[in-house]
This record gives sequence, C-alpha cells and structure tokens, in this order.
Amino acid sequence: MARMKFLCDAERCIECNACVTACKNEHEVPWGINRRRVVTLDDGLPGEKSISVACMHCSDAPCQAVCPVDCFYTTDDGVVLHDKDICIGCGYCFYACPFGAPQYAQDGAFGARGKMDKCTFCAGGPEEDHSHEELDKYGRNRLAEGKLPLCAEMCSTKSLLAGDGDVVADLFRNRVVRREGRPEVWGWNTAYKD
Amino acid sequence: MMKLLTILVTLLSLTACYESAEVTLHEPGVYKGKTDKHALAAEEREQILKKRFLHVQTDR
Repeated sequence: MARMKFLCDAERCIECNACVTACKNEHEVPWGINRRRVVTLDDGLPGEKSISVACMHCSDAPCQAVCPVDCFYTTDDGVVLHDKDICIGCGYCFYACPFGAPQYAQDGAFGARGKMDKCTFCAGGPEEDHSHEELDKYGRNRLAEGKLPLCAEMCSTKSLLAGDGDVVADLFRNRVVRREGRPEVWGWNTAYKD
Repeated sequence: MMKLLTILVTLLSLTACYESAEVTLHEPGVYKGKTDKHALAAEEREQILKKRFLHVQTDR
C-alpha cells in the first residue's frame, strides 16, 4: 500500500513561495490561513536554506492521538484527513503537531476560532468526491482526479516532491548521489546538463 | 548536629527535584466521522498516482 509523503529538497528551494500561492488558489483557502509556508534559515546570510512545510501526513500522527472528538482518520493512501463536521476547534492538534500545520479560520460574528483547517494532500475530505460540500470544506480533490498535490506539481525547481514515499525516496537518493556532496543550486552541471 | 541537619535538609530538597522521564503516550481513538468513499480501489489509485509522479515530478 502506498504511503503519500512530501519531501522538500533544501538544496533546490529558492523561496519563491509559489507552492504557498498555488495551494491558496487551488483550495480557495480563507484569509488568515496558510496550509503551506516556506521557512528560511539564516535568511540573508551565506548558506541560507529554505524549505516548504505543511502537514507531513505522519504515519503515527500526534494530532490523531490527542483529538478529543476523534475526527481524524488516515486514508488507504496514508493521507491524514479530518471531518470538519465533528471538529470542535479546540486546538489540541495545534499543540500536538510538531510542524504547526493545523490552522483555525475566524468564525462567527466576533471572529471566534473556527474549525481546524490543514493540508489535505489535495485529497479532499470525507464528503462525496467532487461535491460542493467537499470543495467548500476541504478544497479540491486532485487525488481522485489521478493528480498529485499542486504545490509539488508546479514547483519550478522540483524542490518539493509529493507522492508515494518509496518513489519519492528513490528519486531523492539518485539526486544525492549525482550531487557528490556539492550543492546543486548553481554551476556548470546545473546550467548545461547533458 | 547542625551540619547533619543541613545535609539532611539539602538531600530532602534535592529529592523534590526528581522529574519522571517517562513519556505519556496516547493512542488514537476510533474515528467517529463520515466514511470517506473512493471510486477506485487503493491498488488502482496507487498505480495511477505513481504513473503521474513519474510523468510530472521527475528530474528532466
């Protein structure tokens, strides 16, 4: 069985934030919520590195373990999703998540904390595939269309990868061997590949 | 006598500093939401998505 995973190649990420924009546009994510964000270390210094971070769809998801209403489930593809109808927006999953993935939209007249929202690996939610309810609550279901997450598919440097963990790992392993310990972001081999 | 008492008090106060290193583990509960139905079987989806990955995301 496949286990869907994200992998961000820090040697290739150029902090363009296109993955963030693509995600927001594809799923009509509300104001104040970013399902994905780019984190930069040593910004402005030589050797700075950026990675794109969202829900990592953990195999042993801590959000799932702490949820008091048990609204999380893991699909056959290894994607961690949740049912917004029973989510109470308590915020436990936010404390438990090491990546800060769960987000809470403002809801109601006084802008109170609403239901939790997070990356769905473009797999929608428990509503019927391609229904209006699914689109409204969770965004597009690209996996049901035979496509992978848009953030990774449109990454111009192929830094962000998304797919079956084994296939992603094979590709990344080949890259590391080809690099021979050197960074891949510039140089003769990058500009003039055979 | 005073020295012995000081040592005793120090030892007692140090024992209060003990912290358990055991991690509390929580097992996930049983999912209580709606069932997520898929049109295709997991094996079929896996093949389609693998093909898609090799088509779109591999290095060129």
